[in-house]
Amino acid sequence: MDRRQFVIGSAAAALWSHEAAAQEAFPSRAITILNAFPPGGANDLVTRPIATVLEPILKQPVVVETKAGAAGSVGAQVAANAKPDGYTLLSHNNGLAGYAEVDKLFARQPKTTRADFIPLARLSADPVLLLVNDQQPWKTLEEFIADAKKQPDKIIYSSGGFYGASHLPVAMIEHAAGIKGMRHLPTAGGGPAITAVLGNNAQMTTQTVQASLSHIKAGKLRALASYGATRSKALPDVPTMKEKGFDLEYYLWVGLFAPKGTPAAIVSTLTSAIDKAGASPQFTTAMANIGLEPSYQSAADFTKFWDEDSRRAEETIRQIGKVG
Amino acid sequence: MGVTLDSLWLGFSVALQPAVLWYAFLGCLVGTLVGVLPGIGPLAGISILLPITFGLNATNAIVMLAGIYYGSQYGGSTTSILLRIPGEASSVMTCIDGNAMARKGRAGAALCIAAVGSWIAGTFGVIVLTLVAPPLATIALKFGPPEYTALLVLGLVFLAYMSTTSLSRTLLMAAFGLLLGTIGIDPLSGHFRYSFDIPELGDGIGIVPVAVGLFGLGEILATPSHQVTGEVIRPKLRELWPNRQEWRDSGWPIARGTVLGFLIGIIPGSAHIISSFLSYAVEKKISKHPEEFGQGAVAGVAGPESANNAASTGAFVPMLALGIPTGPVTAVLMAALMIHGVPPGPSLVNDHPEVFWGFVASMYVGNVMLLALNLPLVGIFVHLLRIPYAYLYPLIIMFCVIGVYEVAHSIVDVWIMLIMGVVGYALKKFSFDPAPLVLGLVIAPIFEMSLRQSLIMSDGNWLIFLQRPIAFVLMIVCAGLLAMSAFSAFMARRDWRAQMAEEVKE
Repeated sequence: MDRRQFVIGSAAAALWSHEAAAQEAFPSRAITILNAFPPGGANDLVTRPIATVLEPILKQPVVVETKAGAAGSVGAQVAANAKPDGYTLLSHNNGLAGYAEVDKLFARQPKTTRADFIPLARLSADPVLLLVNDQQPWKTLEEFIADAKKQPDKIIYSSGGFYGASHLPVAMIEHAAGIKGMRHLPTAGGGPAITAVLGNNAQMTTQTVQASLSHIKAGKLRALASYGATRSKALPDVPTMKEKGFDLEYYLWVGLFAPKGTPAAIVSTLTSAIDKAGASPQFTTAMANIGLEPSYQSAADFTKFWDEDSRRAEETIRQIGKVG
Repeated sequence: MGVTLDSLWLGFSVALQPAVLWYAFLGCLVGTLVGVLPGIGPLAGISILLPITFGLNATNAIVMLAGIYYGSQYGGSTTSILLRIPGEASSVMTCIDGNAMARKGRAGAALCIAAVGSWIAGTFGVIVLTLVAPPLATIALKFGPPEYTALLVLGLVFLAYMSTTSLSRTLLMAAFGLLLGTIGIDPLSGHFRYSFDIPELGDGIGIVPVAVGLFGLGEILATPSHQVTGEVIRPKLRELWPNRQEWRDSGWPIARGTVLGFLIGIIPGSAHIISSFLSYAVEKKISKHPEEFGQGAVAGVAGPESANNAASTGAFVPMLALGIPTGPVTAVLMAALMIHGVPPGPSLVNDHPEVFWGFVASMYVGNVMLLALNLPLVGIFVHLLRIPYAYLYPLIIMFCVIGVYEVAHSIVDVWIMLIMGVVGYALKKFSFDPAPLVLGLVIAPIFEMSLRQSLIMSDGNWLIFLQRPIAFVLMIVCAGLLAMSAFSAFMARRDWRAQMAEEVKE
């Protein structure tokens, strides 16, 4: 074999193997799910079980990689810039819609927008509760609202941070009920926000059923209303905002996304695998253990829900306006 | 008391089952490894192993994961002492005197004292946890933003005692650290500050890359410029154990570090990082020979190492008793319990006594295991120092880079570490002490947040720091310390400026 033959031969071999790779069934190697939030949070709790169940379905390792920071925007940016080949997915939540809107508010160039992501599935949706601590006199939502209107500067509410998933629900009820001037104590996350209310450094907060249930059962926190569409099975006595005459709905949800530009065939392989995993008994048991009601949505429903939810969030962010 | 003993008996009957023992051992072993390897902190270790525990029952899972957490606190001192690389923020102070001891050939003694101090602190922590967890946790909840602010002010006042250099140099370094701490997203309003459009800087400058850069890399960069005396730090085998004097010198520091660390550990939030800094400052302040600090004082290893272990045990109090995570690690442990259908919180003791007491009892067992695991390792680790510098130092640099990258999978962090390495080299050349810089960086975000939160709570009224009892007491202690140093300066009939000028001249 002379040199020319060798070159042609190896070029052909390279071409052939390249073609073979292109036709290779997806997935042929490990898939990474970037989790944009710190370990121990709702995203972590929901994403790890689904990754474990996905492995045998896709017959490839599914790795959860924490890429937390800047209230989830670091992970979102990394995922948006990842190669759209289906091997890098994103686990994110409500925050994904807010970044661009907040950037717009402060006249900054948005780093990621909703258009950068393809929704694959909603893994969970946990309704938010309006909570007060046991040292407060209010037993019903009406009593709270009446008092908050009368002396708003006496009430401090805690949140996990400006424009976050525990700030927006407060802003929604403030707007709907006409409360003005409650004081806001932003903290570094949902956990510290609850701690602030338990220690009576704040009096009110809005947090999910899952995060607050044990404190409600122990009598340390009182849930005055739920932002869910229906009453929570774990708390059948807590009325919904809709029952109280406020057309408000808010959930802390966790969803899976692929970067924009991922081929349709790969997206459909992923969505059918995730649907199968979402319906599996292992996943539903894991969700029940964490204290989440079944709330899985496949791609089509989730896309609709995400549009609606984002519209509500964007509107609320505009109502809050520039703060801080 | 009788009830507690009965419960503890139940706990030990769970903890001494072969399977539980095995998982406790596994956790302690992984924890020690995680602690020894710089960069891979307990948080990463636990998160990676979390899915593996899905197949276990709740007790085995929590016993193993908690073992990783407190085990890593034992191992964290090893690289600090031998190589001057702090594996995590809480072992920064151990670098200073621990490494100085190693240079004097007392590496074995430093490692032993760190292990024994950790064991005493860990066991004390568990005993207190057993007896008074619920009431203690309720008091800790009273620690709101004003109390936090007061505690951190106390930390800053202590800073003056911490450093081995003059007061003005210490304050300069601390101010530099505080300024570095303002980089990143404004904790309250969410605005980016000094981030230059680098999203990773949004979370601020991490403590681990800075500490590893300043202490580890800075040290290595400085090595070629001075005479290397490789002989001194190779200990003879019979000198591995601490001598009688060293034991005597470390007794009280261990006791004080333990109590201090535990008290700081139960406070929800991230105050536990400052436990080792505070302990170091306390030891230096009350020592009869403060000039030995920085030159290899045993108390400078014993106190902070005990404090960080006691703090890590103390952190379980609010988690188990109230269901409140004190930091990211306890948040992951809580998540692990929840995934297994055991929600932590006030009802945990009654609903799942076998998990609660089994877990507590396993910590007694785990601490003994860790001591047994770590003491024989001392001999092996010390041999590391026999590797010639020409091979050892490139390896250390490699570990620094990998370790720092591993913390957040961020290449920006690696750059920060490299820059800090150069800064550390410069500081060393001009004899500035980097420790206050790290403390400033640790305190800055918590201090800023709690100060601003307090003022939100009081609607801008600064008197809030005097109106709340805990904050008031802490403020009085600060004022007392300041008055004391002012008084002693006055008694010495020297103007403080003259004193400072003199110190600078030195």
